[in-house]
Amino acid sequence: MNVKEYISSGIVESYVMGLATEAERTEFEALCAQYPEIAEARNAFELALEEQLLNDSLQAPPFLQSQIKDKVNSSAGEAYPGELPEETPVRRVGAWKFLAAASLILLAGSVYWALTTNKKNQDLLARNKELENQAQQSTAQMNRMQDDIDKLRHPMMTAALKSTDNKGTFATIYWDTLSASKDVYLLINNMPQPPSQKQYQLWALLNGQPIDLGMIEVKEKTLLYRMKNVQNAQAFAITVEPKGGSEKPTSAPVAMSNL
Amino acid sequence: MFQTFGLNKLLGTKLTYEESELVAALRNKDEQSFSYLYEHYSGALYGVIKQIVNDAELSNDVLQECFVNIWRRIETYDESKGRLFTWMLNIARNAAIDKTRSKGFQQGQRQIPLDGEILQPSVKPGIDDFGLKKLILKLKDEQRLLIDLSFFQGYTHEQIANALHIPLGTVKTRIRSALIQLRALMQ
Repeated sequence: MNVKEYISSGIVESYVMGLATEAERTEFEALCAQYPEIAEARNAFELALEEQLLNDSLQAPPFLQSQIKDKVNSSAGEAYPGELPEETPVRRVGAWKFLAAASLILLAGSVYWALTTNKKNQDLLARNKELENQAQQSTAQMNRMQDDIDKLRHPMMTAALKSTDNKGTFATIYWDTLSASKDVYLLINNMPQPPSQKQYQLWALLNGQPIDLGMIEVKEKTLLYRMKNVQNAQAFAITVEPKGGSEKPTSAPVAMSNL
Repeated sequence: MFQTFGLNKLLGTKLTYEESELVAALRNKDEQSFSYLYEHYSGALYGVIKQIVNDAELSNDVLQECFVNIWRRIETYDESKGRLFTWMLNIARNAAIDKTRSKGFQQGQRQIPLDGEILQPSVKPGIDDFGLKKLILKLKDEQRLLIDLSFFQGYTHEQIANALHIPLGTVKTRIRSALIQLRALMQ
């Protein structure tokens, strides 16, 4: 082999600085033993590097020396814990193992992250939908109330229906006599639950004759109930009727008004 | 360092050792030789460690680990393979690179470079412009990157080839020519 060429190939520097591969190291060590020139070249570079680093060094914090001394003394009596691998040039398999392990951890981490994020996202979407529905309901409710308020602002004839049976039934009729259609609205001030299978029915009375104004479907959030229109009336009355209503009242009124 | 030297002189302790004497004394677990070794070489090793780790506190840990290992592993040092300093330098460098791969370090300092990603050079002009880093700053960009990745960051030729998309053989050749260039700068 051409020793001179080998020496100037950069293998010497690569070996000394710990950058040669395992195969290159083994070969280099064998050749050093065989060719003194190679060993000399190695020694020359080692000295040059050593000199360079010694001349341009960085002083370690002074407290470290005693700390290291203590550490060394405390372990001086200890048997050397088995054969440590010789100064391997930095990480060979180790780096791949490390990178592989790191990627697995990263992968597991991102899968977990993706799953939890997805779950969270779905929860948030559901919650969002729910809030949206609630908002819609509230808006609708508010609009209805606004409508009712607008109606009440309108000048209308009113009639109070007072309890005739001491059960506290109390309602107010708003009768839009100024409009052509003569709309009738009912506001429930107080109305006990009707007996089961029974419903309240509103009547207008004209010349002693009852006119059906519709069933009263009591709903918690409703302020004004739109009833059937009536052109003329002298009084209003509420009776309790079988579900679905009657053509003529079948019982005495629970509340009545006079106009 | 000079102060301690003076102190040793006053105490009449041994000032210098031939390398073979030093190694023999260390193998005999002679504490005075260990003090000499520390006083004489810790600065050079600390400089290299600091340039790899880039963190004062972690560098202290690495230097301590390094000298404890030197003390414990002196039996494994083989004179036929090189000088004592070279052996210690490799212990220091490996310990420092291991530290940069440790979990705690990565959380605080850098990302794990994965295959195929472009590796970033950590060598930039700055306060650590002394020793080897000062020299490699004089190299061409590409050579500087290769020395940085291999010597200071401890990547294997294969990892560098993958990351930079250069054939393995080319990586090896270029690292060698960069090292030759570096050596020329030393003289």
